[in-house]
Amino acid sequence: MLRYLSRRVIGAIFVMWAVATLVFFMMRIVPGDPFEAMLFDSGDPAAAEELRRKFGLDQPVYIQYFIWQGNMLRGEFGFSIYGSHQPVARLVSEALPRTLSLAALSFFLAILIAVPAGLIAATRRNTAADYTVTFLAFLGLSMPEFWVAILLIIFFAAHLHWLPAIGYVPISKGFWPWLSHLILPAVAVGTGFSAIIARMIRSSMIEVLKTDYMRLARSKGLSRQVLTIHHAFPNALIPVVTVVGIAFALLMAGAVVVENVFAIKGLGRLLIQGILNRDYPVVQGTIIVVSAIFVFSNLLVDLLYTTIDPRIRYDE
Amino acid sequence: MSSNKPSDDPQAILQKELGDAYDFDPRDPMAGLTGADLSSDGMSRRTVLRLMAASGMLTTASMLPGILTPGRAEAAGQSGGTLRCGWAGTPELPTLDPAQINMVLLFQVSSNVLSGLTHIDADLVPRGDLAESWEVTADGTQYVFKLRQGVTFHNGDTFTADDVLYTYNRSKNPENSIHSRVLNNVDALEKIDDHTVRFKLAKPQASFLTKTLERASGRAMTIVSRGALDSMGTAQYGLTPVGTGPFKVTEHTLGQGLTLEKFDNYYDPERPKLDKVTIQPIIDAEPLAAALEAGDIQLVGGNPVAPELVDRFVENPDLVVSEIAGPGFQSVWLNPWRDPFKVPDFNKPVSELMKENGFKVRLAIAKGLDRERYIKQAQFGRGIAAYGSINPAMGYYFDKDLPNSSNQRYDLEEARQLLADAGYPDGKGFPELSLICTATARREVTVISNILKKNLNITVKPEVQDWPVLLEHFQTMNFDALRVGSGGDYDPDDGVVDWMQTSSKFNGRKRDKEKMPFGFFSDAEVDALIAEQSAMADIEKRRDIVRRADRITSDKVASVFLFHPKDILVHHKSVNFPAVSRIPGLVDLDRTTIS
Repeated sequence: MLRYLSRRVIGAIFVMWAVATLVFFMMRIVPGDPFEAMLFDSGDPAAAEELRRKFGLDQPVYIQYFIWQGNMLRGEFGFSIYGSHQPVARLVSEALPRTLSLAALSFFLAILIAVPAGLIAATRRNTAADYTVTFLAFLGLSMPEFWVAILLIIFFAAHLHWLPAIGYVPISKGFWPWLSHLILPAVAVGTGFSAIIARMIRSSMIEVLKTDYMRLARSKGLSRQVLTIHHAFPNALIPVVTVVGIAFALLMAGAVVVENVFAIKGLGRLLIQGILNRDYPVVQGTIIVVSAIFVFSNLLVDLLYTTIDPRIRYDE
Repeated sequence: MSSNKPSDDPQAILQKELGDAYDFDPRDPMAGLTGADLSSDGMSRRTVLRLMAASGMLTTASMLPGILTPGRAEAAGQSGGTLRCGWAGTPELPTLDPAQINMVLLFQVSSNVLSGLTHIDADLVPRGDLAESWEVTADGTQYVFKLRQGVTFHNGDTFTADDVLYTYNRSKNPENSIHSRVLNNVDALEKIDDHTVRFKLAKPQASFLTKTLERASGRAMTIVSRGALDSMGTAQYGLTPVGTGPFKVTEHTLGQGLTLEKFDNYYDPERPKLDKVTIQPIIDAEPLAAALEAGDIQLVGGNPVAPELVDRFVENPDLVVSEIAGPGFQSVWLNPWRDPFKVPDFNKPVSELMKENGFKVRLAIAKGLDRERYIKQAQFGRGIAAYGSINPAMGYYFDKDLPNSSNQRYDLEEARQLLADAGYPDGKGFPELSLICTATARREVTVISNILKKNLNITVKPEVQDWPVLLEHFQTMNFDALRVGSGGDYDPDDGVVDWMQTSSKFNGRKRDKEKMPFGFFSDAEVDALIAEQSAMADIEKRRDIVRRADRITSDKVASVFLFHPKDILVHHKSVNFPAVSRIPGLVDLDRTTIS
């Protein structure tokens, strides 16, 4: 297991390096000069040149790359080109807890809805309950996140005044302020997410319920509850966990639309803002963190397989 | 100093001021004003109104919603309380360090925290801020400023002439400031004593008080704290700058907003009124509206409020919407180096230019673009048709006759005839054009495209690009047509110097100069007029020269001038935002109260 883990971690680092390298060169290929955009108002070529020199962008691209690689090895993410040149590490470390909070709460809500819904749909196949769950799942998948987000704001914030419309409060300032600012965005993100998982659980459960060992278990007179929870559901989880793992990683970097609507500066918004401003250090630093989340989420999912299905052993 | 007091009835004051404005002999070229009126520390409101009345501007200005009338009277409000603001159309406030500020929405905030030697008032007249008074030599090249005494920074440091010198030395170095160019005309700054400084200019500069020394839009000479910069470094200073302004920044998390608190030792003990202000950046329009309607925020600053929301706010009895002329202009720029509107030389009389097909096409597009319809459809009626770069917020300099007399005035028959004369009768054979814009301008550019299709039967395809890419194309003159404009224009120089001179900073700066000797426009007469007005101390002469330059750029279609934005301030009715603070484009909160 340890050997497998080491191999995967080394592989993960290689993947992160490859992604970061690709992004480094892609950012320099895309048109648009970060300093021209920043200095449009002042129109001062001397200031632009000075900034270019300060950020090492007056050097040939391959030298910029080696300097950046050296900085990465020392754990230095550099400074944002934009604004007052904040350290990228600070920007990422401020955004990460916001994204984690939103992703975790969305994930929790999605699981809370999807698991019972998926199980009911699978065990009561072709009944009104199944049709209802299937219809709601399609509805959840079809509604764009930003639209759901705006509807939630209009109804729960503007009309009912139950929850704040926008913003984020760190948990250090109190649990309820933190939670109250996250409920609406988490519902907006979690709606589509729960629909995907519910559909996945339903189809996976239907496959398992058709198997011979389930027929045997039923013939032994086991109750429906025991059959579903103890025998069918764990075996149906493998494909579900795979999808959930990827979806959680996507949530970590892909909730940018909802982050924009609710004015939460998470990783997704940081990344998009960096790309729009051609803020190379911010994009590169954020991509490394996002790719780390992706590869380690996948690694975690692979490790979870061994817990869910004891037949899976990686070192054998 | 502003002497507006909240205790008097503002309508009565206004009536009295309007009456006084016309109280002069019409044959008197000085309109009853003295030399002192025109050369003291900024013109008084009375002087500005008198000059506007004398030039016939006052009638028009009075008809423009809110241009002179106070949008909302300074209502009686109590001191104290917290004001919650939303800053529209931005994901964050990337920096509040004046040396790095590059957007109006940022100096809206910094104007509440930092001071300058001057600050414009609601009539765009520069008033003393940290400067108590000043004297100018007869040749206009030396300014001696007496500085306020007893002023302290938020960190307790005392403000002296050394801080003016420190700010100057920091700002003139491009390594520290993106605004070093603003100080190019300053030969030297001398400290005479702890509270007196002298600026020596290379040549007279009419805009010096407004463009260089102003605390908000000026930026180059917005006073920074040496002690704070030394102790916290530039990155942190950009988040929580220390100044001598009415509010101090106590918290700023990038992208999540900032908190301002009352500075108890502000030089005016009557200000600020509020204890605390929170500012939350909000990108999207609908969440901003919902937050305002829910009461999560009470006032909207930042980028202009999305025009489609304004009627909704107006109908909301809990909200107050104040509309005044905004300080800027928006244009469609046509590349004079590309067919079908190629004009390689603008240095000809208009009658000569009219013989060229390229110019005919430019003029046809300018005349065929129905601005009123555009403003109605794209800006939901919130805008003023533009025919030049001088905006109506500048009042005194704005030429009210230009819309009626400019070559660009809307005339569909003439536009179609011009197009036919250029070889494109009813638009036949006219090549498809690309009109570059940012994503946020896509809808309005589609409106432009539809109007031109309907009126001239020409196809203009909107092409959305990221801001850095659009700028790259604009600066290298790599476009057919491009939609961009100017904001925060408080002095004629912001319009004509920045945009209309051959050497203007926006005029195709990165173009291939061998292939394109100029960018989007160049005219020797305009260059000379702009240079002349820049150095002109006589305000009336300056106005006349500015208007002449503005008219030529309009007649020669330097760009297809589109509209002047309205400055729309929206706040909850519990917020008392006094008329004296209603400076176009700015959101000064030092006199704001909550009732």
